Amino acid sequence: MSQYKIIFTGPVGAGKTTAIDSISDVPPVKTDAAASDMTKNRKAATTVAMDYGIMNLDDGEKIHLYGTPGQERFDFMWDILTVGGIGLVLLLDNTRADPFKDMQFFLDSFGKFISETSVAIGITQMDLSTKPSINEYHKYLQGSDLKPAIFSVDARVKNDVSLLVQALLFSLDPGLEDE
Amino acid sequence: MKNKDSTPLKLALYGMDDRAYKTMCLYLKGPCKGVAVVVDESEAEIDLLDADHIKARELLDQLQAKMPNRPLIILSLEEILIDGTIYVKKPVETADIMAALKQAKISLSTDIPKKVKVIAKPETEQKIEASPIQKSTKQPVIEEVPVAKNIDKEEKKKVSKHRTAMDLTEGSFSAYIGNVDGVNFSDHEQALKASYNPKGYFLGYVQSAIKVCKAKSRILQLNSGWQPLIVFPHSQEIWLDVEDKQLRAFAGVAISKNSAKSMSLIPIDQSKFDAKGKMEGFFDNEYFLWKLAIWTSKGRFPDTIDINKPVYLMQWPNFSRLVVTPHAMRIAALLIRGPRTAMGIANALNIKPQYVFVFISAANVLGILGQARRQVDELIAPPEVQATKAKGLLSRILGRLRG
Repeated sequence: MSQYKIIFTGPVGAGKTTAIDSISDVPPVKTDAAASDMTKNRKAATTVAMDYGIMNLDDGEKIHLYGTPGQERFDFMWDILTVGGIGLVLLLDNTRADPFKDMQFFLDSFGKFISETSVAIGITQMDLSTKPSINEYHKYLQGSDLKPAIFSVDARVKNDVSLLVQALLFSLDPGLEDE
Repeated sequence: MKNKDSTPLKLALYGMDDRAYKTMCLYLKGPCKGVAVVVDESEAEIDLLDADHIKARELLDQLQAKMPNRPLIILSLEEILIDGTIYVKKPVETADIMAALKQAKISLSTDIPKKVKVIAKPETEQKIEASPIQKSTKQPVIEEVPVAKNIDKEEKKKVSKHRTAMDLTEGSFSAYIGNVDGVNFSDHEQALKASYNPKGYFLGYVQSAIKVCKAKSRILQLNSGWQPLIVFPHSQEIWLDVEDKQLRAFAGVAISKNSAKSMSLIPIDQSKFDAKGKMEGFFDNEYFLWKLAIWTSKGRFPDTIDINKPVYLMQWPNFSRLVVTPHAMRIAALLIRGPRTAMGIANALNIKPQYVFVFISAANVLGILGQARRQVDELIAPPEVQATKAKGLLSRILGRLRG
């Protein structure tokens, strides 16, 4: 049976674990551990392996939701995770020092996967830091080949995460309709 | 004997909602190594104000009047130079806040009375103007003032600003936007004539008010003979105290020449603005304009767009904070790939033209949709929408997400 997956990526503390939790049909398998390195400034616990959730479709098919570890020292796992992936959801934390740098890093790191599929970007923590604005993210990407959906997202809110994933699906095929 | 240097500084926070307040408490405890703790205003040695808060000016005046000798740290995205205060740029870096706290501590030990006069350097005047703490040439208020709140719970009440998107289905669409009498959108010829002039509606006046407000960097009130609408330049917010159904009705009525005479735009003083406890009346500019455009359009297109010529989309709308009209995400996904005519979009997606027209109206108001001017866009037909191999699977995921 095919393994269909949607990949969630982004820096530490961007809300990947929470976003998967928001749309997963089962309690997600979390692999958080107490942070003991540079990540401890961002959150008390961080994902050291990966998060995993499932969306059950009506016909019994399962969509696997994978969250990549946020720390760069685990980036060897990213290529393995994306094999057979439907598309990429990139979450960025707007309170970090340089969210543009974060975005560029992840778009570059997953460049091949994005070129074969698509990407939708969710900006989290915009209630804590309103800058950069969504328009500034779009401006930053002007001149690149990418024109992704970029939404303000509260990873705890199911509708926000759902709309972001919907945008990813429509980016792949605007002709899609509900079944 | 306890080392005095290791005693945490006592800090009071102002201009922060619950979440920001808690985050700052944890931040001081963690990354700042407990150098300061958050306490109630009455126990505090130092004050810390988020100057990007809408009521920052008011809070600042209160703090300066009530505690003129207490060190005050000001956080802001824009540089704010006020005599006797310590500025820290947002987003806050640990080193910066530690340095600010150290400076505040020195100021405590030297116990030098401070002036509370506001001095802005000429070169930074523009930035200060754009901040909620706008230019203040007035002397501080000395009379008794109400106690400043540590947490501004009012900010939390701006639910209209922060709530997630409303997702409209075809079924709920007509009920939400209302109908235009005398237009049958199923008739191709009639649909192509279903236009409106945005300037002849409330929408046009609001757009104009926002432009002026931005250019002058002043809070303005739009009087229309109906309810006053307030436009804020820095926070890019609108305040209007009416229910949706009232706004929808007003949005759909063309403004007559007589009514237009009663329209006026006047500057107002932030300190005199009173939301009357109705914080739900605050809207993000984009959310408000998008919604107003939908209600003005009612499925028609703006006459500023030549409906027979292709249009293009510069960027995706921020759908998670807007009203999502039927097929809006599909239209955006198609249009972001390249220019198309409105009817071409309706045909490619097999949807009614009014769903395309309403999207064009709303996206046009936000300035993210334009009319294609290149000859090539009219010469070469856009490619057909190719179904992906996994279309069935993707549609089932979509169905699952939409519940």
